[in-house]
Amino acid sequence: MGRKVVITGMNIISSLGLNLEENWNNLAAGKSGVAPISLFDASNCETKIAAQVPAGFEAYASTFCKKRTAHQMTRVTAMAFVCASEAIELSGIDFNAVDRRRTAVIMGVVSTGNSSVEKGAASRNRIIKSMSNAIPAWISLHYGIEGPSYSVNTACASSAYAMGLGYDMIRSGSADIVVTGGADSTINPEEINSFNEMYALSTRNDAPRKASRPFSRDRDGFVIGEGAGIMILESEESASKRNAPVIAEFAGYAVTSEAYNIMAPKKDGEGMYETMKLALANTGVDPSEVDYINAHGTSTMLNDLYETMAIKRLFGDRAYAIPVTSSKSMMGHTIAAAGAIEAAITALSIRYQMVTPTINYDDPDPDLDLDYVPNNSRAHKINVAISNSFAFGGHNATIVLKKY
Amino acid sequence: MAKIENGTVEEVRRIVYEFFSEECEVSIDELKDDTNVIKDLEGDSLMFLELLEIFKKKYGLNVELKTVGKYVVKHPAETIGAIIGMTMLIIEHENRIAELE
Repeated sequence: MGRKVVITGMNIISSLGLNLEENWNNLAAGKSGVAPISLFDASNCETKIAAQVPAGFEAYASTFCKKRTAHQMTRVTAMAFVCASEAIELSGIDFNAVDRRRTAVIMGVVSTGNSSVEKGAASRNRIIKSMSNAIPAWISLHYGIEGPSYSVNTACASSAYAMGLGYDMIRSGSADIVVTGGADSTINPEEINSFNEMYALSTRNDAPRKASRPFSRDRDGFVIGEGAGIMILESEESASKRNAPVIAEFAGYAVTSEAYNIMAPKKDGEGMYETMKLALANTGVDPSEVDYINAHGTSTMLNDLYETMAIKRLFGDRAYAIPVTSSKSMMGHTIAAAGAIEAAITALSIRYQMVTPTINYDDPDPDLDLDYVPNNSRAHKINVAISNSFAFGGHNATIVLKKY
Repeated sequence: MAKIENGTVEEVRRIVYEFFSEECEVSIDELKDDTNVIKDLEGDSLMFLELLEIFKKKYGLNVELKTVGKYVVKHPAETIGAIIGMTMLIIEHENRIAELE
């Protein structure tokens, strides 16, 4: 039996806000962060909308690090750094009072976003800004964290994988504290056009706030988002020793590979079902105990259909009584950051005993008939919740959180 | 070997001080020749490379980083004063700096 792992700090930066409280308030209010793209001229792109982090981010970030350091970071790296800074502050960790060698940084990173949108990308600091280990490196450097520090890339499941690896380190006794999560932005013409070639993105340019519509019949693809999500995972003993506030228990997880297709999920949600089932088994949780599912819920035809099928198969008739929500309906798909952002939302849902809605659910798909918590948040008793991340390449992850 | 013009030392000193003041967000009045770039200013090793580029362009120097690197390994420059001194040697000796003891 390994050690219990708890969440003692977390934070979100997204299109819905620059801190945890702002994000939660907007999620609870069912607001959409999707708008016409302003980071670059998207007039030649088929998709011209995205869920961008608010324009005040750069000014806000400048209060967290020196100008020189900021110039060595991309926008994505800065999002992760700022997000981590506030999560660490919330956790109350004093790095002079803990063993820095038993503290780790594990981040889900697809890229640091050193794209054509990044100012000055072609000139100074190109390597430092582009290297995918920059995010964990800056965090460990700033706080003097001397344990393992690295990044993991499994596309849209990257930060879910990172959190799982952090959980394993604490549970096995090789670390006491892990700063984990991820950050991403693919809002640039190169990647928008590439996703459009795959017919993956919504092109509902005339109604941006209505574009991300998971589980609806007329869904037409996901909306790209950007942001960062950070979790401070800690052993129960470490948290107790310093009287840290515990937000929720990180009870377990599973990661699997579908070994099926580079883009499409396995037929009928077979891989998704296996991942959720394994996560519950690894955690010692019976499916009957699960009170809430924060779905991957991308708003693509296949994901939403297969995820629904997988939930029905695993939970049987009880599936209809479990609220299933998609945070992506409001903040778009933040790719590498999504797993951590959505796990943080799940933890807040446990803390506040409330589920945030799936917005734009006004044209139900007859094949998708679960309780998706349409359009309005709802009070709900939650002791156990799961959060799903299913990535291109067949990288699947399910996180299990419990009330503490 | 380049000829050091009158005023070059003062010009190099001004550029170096302004550079560290700007990059480290420290008032120029707080900087001294014995200020340690890493310990006192939380600077980084890339700063020296950036300064080298500035001086290469300004004085049209024929100097390669690897030759400067050979010299720096033997004579580390950690303070602002040491960096000014080394810059003067680079301007004076260019690629032949590696031959200096």
